[in-house]
Amino acid sequence: MADLSRAPLPTEATLRRRQSLVRQFFRFIAYDLRIMRMVLKGHSQDH
Amino acid sequence: MADVVVLGAGVSGHTAALHLSRLLPSGNTITVVSPNSQWNWIPSNIWVGVGKMSKKQVVFPLAPVYKKKGVRFLQAKATAIRPVGDEESDRPGVDIEYTLPGKEGQTERIRYDYLINATGPQLKFGATPGLGPDGGNTVSVCTADHAIEASHSLKVAIERLKGGEKLTLVVGMGHGTCTCEGAAFEYVFNVDHELREAGVRDNARLVYLTNEAQLGDFGVDGMVFEERGFQTTSELWTGSLFRERGVEAILGAHVSRVEPGVVHYETLDGNHHTLEFDFGMLLPPFGGVALKAFDREGGEITDQLFAPSGFMKVDADYTPKPYEEWTAADWPKTYQAVGYDNIWAVGIAFAPPHQISRPRKSANGTVIAPSPPRTGMPSGVMGKTAAMSIADRIKKGPSAKNHDASMAAMGAACVASVGQGLTTGSAAAMTMLPVVPDYQKFPTGRDLADTRGEVGLAGHWVKLMLHYLFIYKAKALPLWQLIPE
Repeated sequence: MADLSRAPLPTEATLRRRQSLVRQFFRFIAYDLRIMRMVLKGHSQDH
Repeated sequence: MADVVVLGAGVSGHTAALHLSRLLPSGNTITVVSPNSQWNWIPSNIWVGVGKMSKKQVVFPLAPVYKKKGVRFLQAKATAIRPVGDEESDRPGVDIEYTLPGKEGQTERIRYDYLINATGPQLKFGATPGLGPDGGNTVSVCTADHAIEASHSLKVAIERLKGGEKLTLVVGMGHGTCTCEGAAFEYVFNVDHELREAGVRDNARLVYLTNEAQLGDFGVDGMVFEERGFQTTSELWTGSLFRERGVEAILGAHVSRVEPGVVHYETLDGNHHTLEFDFGMLLPPFGGVALKAFDREGGEITDQLFAPSGFMKVDADYTPKPYEEWTAADWPKTYQAVGYDNIWAVGIAFAPPHQISRPRKSANGTVIAPSPPRTGMPSGVMGKTAAMSIADRIKKGPSAKNHDASMAAMGAACVASVGQGLTTGSAAAMTMLPVVPDYQKFPTGRDLADTRGEVGLAGHWVKLMLHYLFIYKAKALPLWQLIPE
C-alpha cells in the first residue's frame, strides 16, 4: 500500500478556489486556449 | 479513381473516414468496415459506469452518418489482409466476415487501393484468469454495455453500504501490462464521488490497484509541472488527490488472477498478495485485433505485417535497445506499414516501438510495465494524418509526400471529471506536450508551458464540452471539420 501520509493536502482556500465560479471561468478559458495552442504546435506537424 | 478501405470506426478510423469523405474527389470510394453498428465516445463511458449518463448519450448509429457522407459502411469484421492480391486478382484485398444481423457469418473479399487499419484494441480479459464481465469476477468500462453493467454492480454495492455493511471497492488495472491508467484513475474518483453523494463513503474502503510504479505515471512515465516557480511532479499532484479523497493505492502490481471476491496480485518486490473485494472494476490489457496476412499464393505473412502483440508494424524504430537509449525519434511519424506503401495503421492498431513509462520486472521476472496510451486526441490526429496522406497520393500522384504526426511532437489532454451539473462537478485536468517525452528538446522531456495539471470545476466543464463537441463532430454535423481532433 502506498504511503500517502506525506502527500500535500489542499488548504481550505485552495478547495474554495477550485469551486469558485468566477475563478474557474477564467481557468476554463485558459485550459481551452492551452488545448488550442497544443493543437497548433503539435497536431499540425506539417499541415 | 481509387478505392480506400478503413478497418474500424472508432475515434481513429471514423476520423479518417470523415476526412477522406471531404478530401477525396468524387469517383473515389471510401468503405468503412466495422463490426459495431454504433460509434461510442469512450471517454464518457466512465460516466455511464457510475449511472450519471445513459448509453444513448454516448453512442449513435454509424450508418446514417456514412450514408450522408457518401461512405459505404459494411458491418463486418476484417479477418485477413492480402496486401499483394490473390490468385484471382493482383489488387490487394481484405477478407471480411459480416456481423450485421441477418448476414452474420457471411464472408466476402473486398479490394482496395489504399487501406487504413484502425481496428483498435482487442480487450484481452483472458490474459488474467477470472478478469472481466464475461464469465469473470470484475466489471469493466471499456464499452458502453460494460459500463452499464458496472453501474448496476456499483448500485448494488451502494445499497449494501446503505444497509450498514463495510465493503471494499477496488478499481484499476487487471494485468501488469495494461494501458489507459487515466481511465481507471477517473473511474476511481467517480466511484468516490458516488459514495459521498450516497452518504456511505465512511463504510467503504476504496482501493486503486495499478501497474504504475508511482502514482501519476499514467503510462507516460509521469509528468513534471511548473507551479508557482517550482518544478513539481504528477506523482506529488496525484498523491495529494488520493490523500484528500481517502483513496488507498497499491502500486507496481500485476494481477495474476481474480476469484470471486478476491484479487491475487504480485508486486514489484516479488511478493504475492491477495485483496478481498466486494466491487471490482479492473481494466484488461489490450492486444491487436486478430488479423492474418497472406501473400498471393495464400502463404501466411502475418509476421511481416504484425508484431507478436497483434499490432501492425509501421515506420517506427523497432530495434530492441535499453531504456536509456530510447529516443523520441523511435516513434512513427507517418504510420505507413512496413513494406507496403498503401497501408497505414493508426490509433491503437499500430505497434509502438517501446513503452513510454520505464518498464520494470518484479523480483520474480514478471513484467510490470504500463503500455503506452495512444487513444483520444492522438488517435484522431493519426486518423486525419493518414487520410491526408492518402488524399494527396490520389490527387497528386504516387510521389506525394506523407503527412507526419509523431506522438513525440503532439500533445494530449486527460480530464478526469466527477459529478454532474455545471456547479457541482470537479476534475483533475492534465495536458502534456509531447505525449512521448523528448529529452533532447526539453530538459524535463516535455514543454513546461503546455504540460500542466490542475484541479477544479473548470476541468469538469472542459470534459462536458469535449463530450458534446466530439459527438457533434463524429456525427459530421455542419462545420464538423473545424473542430480539431
